[in-house]
Amino acid sequence: MPIISDRVEVERKPRLGGGGPGKIPHRRGFGGGDDGDHGNSGDFRSREQRMRRYRVGMTLCIISVTAIFVLLTMVYVLRMGKGRFDEDAHRWVRDWIPLSLPYLQLWTNSLVLLLSSLTLELARRSMAKKEEFAAMGIVPPRFKRDLPWLGITVFLGFCFLAGQVLVWNILRAQGAFLASNPSRSLFYILTGTHAVHLVGGLVALLYAVAGRLLATKFESQRIAVEVTGWYWHYLAFLWFGIFALVHFARG
Amino acid sequence: MSSSVRSKNSRRMTPSYLFSTDHKAIGRAYFFLSLAAVLAGAWLSLLMRIHLVWPHAEIPFLGEIKPENYLAQLTMHGTLMVFFVLSTVPQAGFGTFFLPLQLGASNMAFPRLTAVGFWTALVSLFVLMAAFIVPGGASSAGWTQYPPLSALASAGPGQGLGTDLWLVSIGLFCLSSLMSAVGFVATTVRHRAPGMTWLRMPLTCWSWFVTSLLILLAFGILLAAVVLLMLDRHAGTSFFIPGGLLVSGKAIAHAGGSPLMWQHLFWFFGHPEVYIAILPAMGVTSHLLSVFARKPVFGYKAMVGATLAIGALGFMVWGHHMFVSGMNPYAGFAFSTLTTAIAVPSAIKTFNWVATLYGGRIRYATPLLFSAGFVSLFITGGLTGPILAQPALDTYLHDTYFVVAHFHLIMAMAGVFAIFSATYFWFPKMFGRMMNETLGRWHFWITLLGAYATFMPMHLLGIAGHPRRYSELSGVQYVAAMAPLQKFVTLAAIVTLVGQLIFLVNLFWSMFKGPAAKANPWECSTLEWTLNSPAPVEGFGDRRPQVNHGPYEYNVSLAEKDFVMQDAAAS
Repeated sequence: MPIISDRVEVERKPRLGGGGPGKIPHRRGFGGGDDGDHGNSGDFRSREQRMRRYRVGMTLCIISVTAIFVLLTMVYVLRMGKGRFDEDAHRWVRDWIPLSLPYLQLWTNSLVLLLSSLTLELARRSMAKKEEFAAMGIVPPRFKRDLPWLGITVFLGFCFLAGQVLVWNILRAQGAFLASNPSRSLFYILTGTHAVHLVGGLVALLYAVAGRLLATKFESQRIAVEVTGWYWHYLAFLWFGIFALVHFARG
Repeated sequence: MSSSVRSKNSRRMTPSYLFSTDHKAIGRAYFFLSLAAVLAGAWLSLLMRIHLVWPHAEIPFLGEIKPENYLAQLTMHGTLMVFFVLSTVPQAGFGTFFLPLQLGASNMAFPRLTAVGFWTALVSLFVLMAAFIVPGGASSAGWTQYPPLSALASAGPGQGLGTDLWLVSIGLFCLSSLMSAVGFVATTVRHRAPGMTWLRMPLTCWSWFVTSLLILLAFGILLAAVVLLMLDRHAGTSFFIPGGLLVSGKAIAHAGGSPLMWQHLFWFFGHPEVYIAILPAMGVTSHLLSVFARKPVFGYKAMVGATLAIGALGFMVWGHHMFVSGMNPYAGFAFSTLTTAIAVPSAIKTFNWVATLYGGRIRYATPLLFSAGFVSLFITGGLTGPILAQPALDTYLHDTYFVVAHFHLIMAMAGVFAIFSATYFWFPKMFGRMMNETLGRWHFWITLLGAYATFMPMHLLGIAGHPRRYSELSGVQYVAAMAPLQKFVTLAAIVTLVGQLIFLVNLFWSMFKGPAAKANPWECSTLEWTLNSPAPVEGFGDRRPQVNHGPYEYNVSLAEKDFVMQDAAAS
């Protein structure tokens, strides 16, 4: 145990009124303005600041996307329960026709997406490692097993999208079109909206993959992979949420 | 960084406006976008007021206004004012300009995203205005776009392409607001200057922050709802269109949808939207009252708490817009209770504003007048809130002018007063010159009296049962008896709108000919006033301000002046 405490006792300054506390800023917390970074946060353009800024931005995007999917889920549940009381038959009649899902294709797609999530995490970690080496001034040694995880992720992402198109084709072959029944409409809308968001992630990953062509800084690639990683894992999680919804709430 | 590099940086950030990523250029551009929108919206309101009193008047170039034209004007007036004025200029306009400056950051967190947000908003405004020149004209379903009217192209002249354009425009506006809000929150969380703790942020920054959080949750929901409505219109789905509809004798193929679901989705966005419009206005008012009363804001922490509480409660009260939709009385009771609960944080704010003014050495400059006007209108408009929050009373008043009076006073007029006060206050920092005080005072008194003269009689019209939204009710006897009052309202509206010419003259004259502004003409303590006027392109440049003080340290006896700048050395 250290004899001298590293906590510095500071005399409490008199409060001048008008808002904030008159004491020195507290040390723990999040964000700029001394919360947590002890006033040594560097300038606006520093590498660490950029990464943190993009992380916050991605968190906000995820919040907003979550709001959209919560709304679609609410519409799904409400539309499924919608019906009218048939006075002659004395029962509740709904126009919702349960959808028979192509489970084999859906599970394959889920597996592909899960795998892509895994490979992206490997890509993210290898880049983080490279960054650490670079910070120490060491040229990162080539690992034998350092596969092009990023490229593999992009490939798997496209596979997932192709798989989703296959799912839609199977449904269309069954005569299940967007307009034929609310259960169909909502399946297409949920999976379609998810696919659109995934395309956004793919664009970001392609930006990172094409980094060498575009002469992008390693730092920008690293940020793109880091925040897209968060987004990608979130989309995989979201996919299982959607899958669970259309499976358990078939109607 | 050497000076040569710095000058290179400044050159890159020169506000060439097109493709500029300087937050100050974007903020100013939002200001002018809203100015264009408010002129169009005010012109529409003038046309409507004239039509209500003289239904067969020949308007130059337009001729007589037909009922469908009136409804289109109603829709476009509401859309322009709510989206492109009230939720654009206090947040995206002044916010984009002053949030980084007040926090001591050199730019927004994602400058390019913020720039793209602006250009999307501009495209969105063009798409909306294009509805006036397409066949059938603009949508006539109101700014709330209730289906089935909004979902069926055959339902009216403006319900075809006009409504499609409306939906596309609002979809784009949602994207624009989301992009802007991400930048706001990230800037607030990550780019506060050293020493700028959360509780040292000016209340303007707090309200921009909370508003951005509301935008992130609410506008995504509107975007999804608009897409669903588009699918109903063009892809044959039935989310909002019920079965068994006949339009012009033709049966509609859709079945099973629920128009009420749209109302729920819309108002789940729509009520937070009210606070998206008014929270920045509240922030500006708190800030300005403190500056011009030369006193610290009374109850800073309570103000922050009330802002957060209003933001949170705003998501729980959407049902009070739907009391007449036949909702379960128990649900109505819950919504009513929660709505009344908003009176608590609102009252805290109002109390604190009055207490801030109390005993202050008030400097009666134009920004203060408009801020005090905001408080006055907020109280007047707010007092009818608890009345409309009662389902029993709302059932009677819902479709009358009482509601028009309520939301125009508390949202429109109060919001506009805050915009005016912010314009007079920040004009030196935005354009480097001072606005004319004499013209400002004339503008204030005409606008204040005009606003009350226009909207107070509407309460009486509403209590007497005058329905809103109708283009003409000349055949109805009890309504005809209210014609003189309607005429008074129209005359008051015309006087008020003509009075705004004073503002426009003052604005543009001062922009080019006004006296040059000092760095800190109002003796305000926040960081933007440490810069020259107008705010230089490079902002703080390479300097990172060290914040040592709270935002409202006025009336400090130990200081040489009566206030302490936020970045003054710690005593």
